[in-house]
Amino acid sequence: MKLAVTSLEHIHKKGRFGNYQKQSGKKLLEISEVKNLAIIHLVQYKKSKIQPNTIKLENLELPLDNPKVTANKETRILWSAPRTWLIISSKKNIISNIKNKCDRENFAITDISHSRAVIQIKGPQAKEVLKKGCPININEIQVDNCAGTVFNGITVVIDFVNNDPDTFNLLALRSFGETFYHHITDSALEFGYAGV
Amino acid sequence: MLEIKCPHCGLRSQNEFSYGGDSNTKRPELGKEVSDKDWDNFIYLRDNPRGKHSELWHHVAGCRQWFKVLRDTSTHEIFKTAKLTEEL
Repeated sequence: MKLAVTSLEHIHKKGRFGNYQKQSGKKLLEISEVKNLAIIHLVQYKKSKIQPNTIKLENLELPLDNPKVTANKETRILWSAPRTWLIISSKKNIISNIKNKCDRENFAITDISHSRAVIQIKGPQAKEVLKKGCPININEIQVDNCAGTVFNGITVVIDFVNNDPDTFNLLALRSFGETFYHHITDSALEFGYAGV
Repeated sequence: MLEIKCPHCGLRSQNEFSYGGDSNTKRPELGKEVSDKDWDNFIYLRDNPRGKHSELWHHVAGCRQWFKVLRDTSTHEIFKTAKLTEEL
């Protein structure tokens, strides 16, 4: 089976760039494109009377307020807005599981897997890179928190995946992917980075 | 740059938001005869107060929700924000 062409297929470059030689002893920042994710947008209708806390997807509860994320090894559920969630998973068949749990009378389920560019930045300077373009207080963000914000004017979702080392998944609209990638890599040149 | 407290996401920078105009404007009732003057007033006529102003803002880069803001148009001080279903 031929896999779909990802948004950064011809943009992302592997290798070392920027001031990486001055980072001797420190772990180098890694920038990569995260591929083959299922990204599902889940919205509960206003008329729906179901309590979202009674629903479990992949044994995960739906987070009920900002900026929470519930996660296991394969799936992350991001609070996106009231009654709205972004489900990101490496399980390709997750949409059928969601459809089983969330009926059409109460929920709108949209597969947006191919409409996002997903960049992962990983390393001790990851927060410093984000600080260059995001107006939110990156120091306050905790593991398994997310935020819808902007990076140099581009609308992005930031998902703090891990803090050892700091790892962020950054989701932007696919059509902004190339510009966003260049903004991120330009911001990372000061620290040096490895495209992986 | 203003900092605006979104009722859903908390304090965020102004460049995540979009201004949506006066929050007190009411659309003429559906299904009723509307005179040209009333319609013209609804579309174009706005107060332009100096001081406290009740406004709509959209958290366009965040939760994408509309909400109300009570702001001073001369000092830009924001007194209160509220969900659309709440009173300011």
